[in-house]
Amino acid sequence: MAYKYIIIGGSAGSFQTVTRILSSLPKSFNLPVFLCLHRLKHVRAGFVEALSIKSNIKIIEPDDKEFIRQHKAYLAPANYHMYFELGNYIALSTEEPVNHSRPAIDISFASAAYTYRDKLIAILLSGANKDGALGMREVKRQGGLTIVQDPDECQVKTMTASAMSATEIDKILSADKIIEFLVNLK
Amino acid sequence: MPVSQEDIALVINAIKNNSDYDFSDYSSKSFTRRIEKALIDFRLDIDKLLVKIKQDPDFVDQLVKNITVNTTELFRDPKVWQALRYRVLSKFTSYRKINIWHAGASTGQEVYSLLILLHEMNLFEKANVFATDINTDVIERAKAGEYSYRFNLEYFENFDKVIKENPFNYDEFNEIPYEKYFEIDQVNDIIKAKEFLRKKPVWFKHDLVKEGNIFNTKFDIILCRNVLIYFNTELQDKVINTFSKSLFRKGVLMIGAHESIIGPVANNFIKSGFFYIKKD
Repeated sequence: MAYKYIIIGGSAGSFQTVTRILSSLPKSFNLPVFLCLHRLKHVRAGFVEALSIKSNIKIIEPDDKEFIRQHKAYLAPANYHMYFELGNYIALSTEEPVNHSRPAIDISFASAAYTYRDKLIAILLSGANKDGALGMREVKRQGGLTIVQDPDECQVKTMTASAMSATEIDKILSADKIIEFLVNLK
Repeated sequence: MPVSQEDIALVINAIKNNSDYDFSDYSSKSFTRRIEKALIDFRLDIDKLLVKIKQDPDFVDQLVKNITVNTTELFRDPKVWQALRYRVLSKFTSYRKINIWHAGASTGQEVYSLLILLHEMNLFEKANVFATDINTDVIERAKAGEYSYRFNLEYFENFDKVIKENPFNYDEFNEIPYEKYFEIDQVNDIIKAKEFLRKKPVWFKHDLVKEGNIFNTKFDIILCRNVLIYFNTELQDKVINTFSKSLFRKGVLMIGAHESIIGPVANNFIKSGFFYIKKD
């Protein structure tokens, strides 16, 4: 199996898990990681810095049409939706929020699903709304691998539970197991 | 309901052949999504959409208005507006007049943001402001300057950051009431820009892609926020070239917080913080 891209979505209760994942990936980890995370309006600034403290890979908030490179994590910027275009670059948009969210996980996941098909691993973490469920369904439809954080471990389980009822989830894993899985990807 | 790239090509062609609009150079992912949304909004499938485009010119106008993105906010990205205030506009205080073009002004929130800043800095009377958009509906809404109160509480937070606070001097705080610039009617859920703001700009329809600079003047500042993201790189180049030619030496181009100028045309500018400064 040759997965080439990883996308992670999360909302309430996911920040620590994302931080742990990023700090556990080795410097040599070479797949691009996309992060679509809801954030509270008042912590819009400083989010990259907070995530970067322990991360071994460089985290950036991409500009529109930014080329996607290995060894980098791309955080959807506040107030933009993040898409993935053929030709290996990112596209941003300011369309209306979806599921009251911008960035919306559904948009980023569905876009990654169409563009990367069976080369994509999509991981959905803790969250308090159903954003991401339809995105996960598209990932599954396009042949990508779907993973959710074990709802019993999530601070808020609405997001993962919604995804599990929307589509077939390939793996339900604890945060530790998600990390183990990613680190051992070959 | 996902629409294939072949169908998107048919839609673009049909619009091109049956109207003055040409979306050939639009960024593909977001255009596809806009068409998918339009199909839902108009309750059509792709075949019926194509027929309507060919048979009903009024519908094409409706469709174009539906698929162009018009989201905007008062002082969207406060950091950028703070920088505009303290790093850019502060340099214009000695100018006799300031020419400003706001391209893709949409429903006007950022035009009013700019006007408020100019007013606070005593530059309002010196400024000539042109505000343009391709979509006549949004121009009318911009002219009216009327927005929902309830859904836009964020506007006031942004206002505080840009107008009341000084990020470069935390001791400074200017208690400027919102009512200086807006009529606020919470009961009827309305905030409305005051007349002296609404009357200030010259508002008109303008197609950035086809028309270029039609103003017979150059500009000190051009704002074009979150418009270029909907264009492919060729069209983006073309429009930035227009801006480059339309700016005075050391003129300032202000684009979206996560837009950037790439390719050869970038050589016409020096990037300074959030802004692009026209070279000599």
